[in-house]
Amino acid sequence: MAHNIPNELKYTKDHEWAKLDGDIATIGITDFAQSALGDIVFVELPQVGSTLTTHQTFGVVESIKSVSDLFSPIAGTVVEVNNDLVNAPELCNAQPYANAWMIKVKLSNPTELNSLLSASDYQNFLSSL
Amino acid sequence: MEILKTSLHGEHLALNAKMAPFAGFDMPLQYSSVKEEVLAVRSHIGVFDVSHMGEFFVTGPDAINFVDNIITNDFKNAEMLKAVYSPLCRENGTVIDDLIAYKLSSERVLICVNASNIAKDWEWISGQKGSFNCTLSNQSDDFSLLAIQGPKAEALMIELGLVPATDFPYYSILETSIKNEKLIIARTGYTGEDGFEVFSSHKFAKEFWRDLLAQGVKPCGLASRDVLRLEVCYPLYGHELNDDVTPLDAGLAWTVKLAKNDFVGKKGLESYKPKYQLVKLSLERGIPREGYEVLNTAGEKIGIVTSGTMSVVTGKGIALALIEKAKNPQDKKYLINIRNNNYEAQFHSKAFVTGGHK
Repeated sequence: MAHNIPNELKYTKDHEWAKLDGDIATIGITDFAQSALGDIVFVELPQVGSTLTTHQTFGVVESIKSVSDLFSPIAGTVVEVNNDLVNAPELCNAQPYANAWMIKVKLSNPTELNSLLSASDYQNFLSSL
Repeated sequence: MEILKTSLHGEHLALNAKMAPFAGFDMPLQYSSVKEEVLAVRSHIGVFDVSHMGEFFVTGPDAINFVDNIITNDFKNAEMLKAVYSPLCRENGTVIDDLIAYKLSSERVLICVNASNIAKDWEWISGQKGSFNCTLSNQSDDFSLLAIQGPKAEALMIELGLVPATDFPYYSILETSIKNEKLIIARTGYTGEDGFEVFSSHKFAKEFWRDLLAQGVKPCGLASRDVLRLEVCYPLYGHELNDDVTPLDAGLAWTVKLAKNDFVGKKGLESYKPKYQLVKLSLERGIPREGYEVLNTAGEKIGIVTSGTMSVVTGKGIALALIEKAKNPQDKKYLINIRNNNYEAQFHSKAFVTGGHK
């Protein structure tokens, strides 16, 4: 099945996406991730002000039958959290790249985002699974 | 070990089901969405391929007495053409499996067992035969089994000419022939809804599966089956039941008929003081999962979640938990630990969802 992989975003092998705006990265899970998880019914996100290291668990997303950790693609400080997902976790299925963004992080090192996968790298990674 | 496939494996792949190994079989977890599949069964009809389950036949003059002797529930006094749910226990009362025994005639009984326990059950049951005048056969590979479940299942089964329009209540069974295929049909299931289980040849099952889908019946996988059974608080072997607990620990005292003459496990269960109590808990926020700790309000660990999920019907996290009987709080106040935080749980005396079975 073909998955939506917007060109302008960066990706990780944990199926997260990141979008850079100045020194703030917006982070969420990919279309592939939401589709693999199925009906998402619970999202747990960190507090604003939490500091994250690269690949640190920053939250949890649960489908009816599974629990999956969310891993931060980059290091930084959480400046905003999408609390809409707490009441409407199904947004993660419906709009993984738009209204279901999860956290915004002020990057410790703004160039770190360059180390993530491009859309075509991520597409190749998915094809290899 | 090579993974086993049911006769409908190709159908599942063609429907793009998410597949996963279960009890040695490559089984469909879900086809569309777990939520949609649960709701289809609660409000309309769903069909499950449960052909991985085991079928043993007991035939001969002592068939009924033999089955009555190996299970804890009363089989001898059940009416002809009725099904009986029961644990299968060791002498000390611990549970080998839970099963349904179908009284097909005075000399023929079908026992349906969990897929994960087929080998263990067969070895145990064969070992109990002693001087009973009956023959045992394991026909698990010869049968397909489809479960047609939901409030509209009855009308469809009547329309298809498979069950009579009247006098076929819950837990009844019948044997019939259609297109030269022998079928055993039971009004049983594992969803809490009204429904039927159809034992048939592999060939019939494939055609029947396609017919049902063409009639708008929703294909449902093991994930929705687990949510459905948990919403109505049916135990699952390997979770609420296992080799170390007795039926008396797991809320199944109603299936243990100590007044019966004699049966395997009677002595053990007569003197057994339950160590655990099975409780039903829900959370306002968060989803309890198998293995999460249950605590009292003092923060002391008192038990463990044996099954947990998000209820599709109630929208809440629900759990069955085995609590150490000696530590079970009088005030019925429980906490569930999720990722190092304790959440207050609601105690339920009744099932989370009331199924509509008749």
